[in-house]
Amino acid sequence: MTPDHAKPTTGAAVDCNAALESLFDFLDGELDGSIEERLKAHVQQCKPCFERADFERRFLAVVQTARAEERCPKALRERVLSTLRAEGLGA
Amino acid sequence: MMTDAPEAAARPAAPPEFSAAAIAAMDDVYRFARSLTRDPSDAEDVVQDTYLRAFRSWHTFQPGTDIRRWLFTIARNVFLRSRERGQREVTLDDEQSAVVDAAQAQEAWVRGGLDPILDRTDLGPAITDALAQLPENFRAVVVLVDLEDQPYEAAAEVLGVPVGTVRSRLFRGRKLLQHSLAQHARDAGLLPTRHSGSPA
Repeated sequence: MTPDHAKPTTGAAVDCNAALESLFDFLDGELDGSIEERLKAHVQQCKPCFERADFERRFLAVVQTARAEERCPKALRERVLSTLRAEGLGA
Repeated sequence: MMTDAPEAAARPAAPPEFSAAAIAAMDDVYRFARSLTRDPSDAEDVVQDTYLRAFRSWHTFQPGTDIRRWLFTIARNVFLRSRERGQREVTLDDEQSAVVDAAQAQEAWVRGGLDPILDRTDLGPAITDALAQLPENFRAVVVLVDLEDQPYEAAAEVLGVPVGTVRSRLFRGRKLLQHSLAQHARDAGLLPTRHSGSPA
């Protein structure tokens, strides 16, 4: 990772180092409005940063698909519900 | 049906909205439990105990807050109690640190290899496998943020670590995932043969 001093600060211009340092924060919606807007502007006009952001965004979207791969087993769900009914669920 | 246990008899029934919301989150709690335990049987125990504790202490849930965050926190506490504290606490050993460093050093290779396959729709099982291989600390953060859409602050609260730790583990966990997926894609013949300078 790039050093902390590369992180964008309020009012400062965003360069490539700062953009890459905060890229995941940006993609995760973790930046505040001012910094987010300046980082977004940089990514939109900087081809390498745009391509990097596009790659990471697509990667995160693919990771999200794993959500559908793993669900609570039906038998476990029934066992939990049975336990909760014994505790008073639905009473 | 009520049990005849005194504490159960004295406890008011959980409201339907709590029951519905909590039960609807069972897939999410199970995934998180799997990320903590790796072992399916242990994960089932964590889920079972989590829901029992949640039901018994539903009055501590604050309406209007994220019930999944509340359940994740209970699940982690259940998990921590289920093992001897410190015995299986996972930290990065030298080998894992080397893998993380390598994953970052091979960024260009990983990116070049992954990019062509990110639009495939059949990567789910490979991602699940790659997630299972992540060190525990990274896996829990990646599951909470990337699969369960929890904000950094929520993940930090659930895991009892600073937000900066979440950010660091998330970055490294994602880089490990990318490396693992690129390796999988290559092993499965989905990628072109590596060019010179690629990792051994």
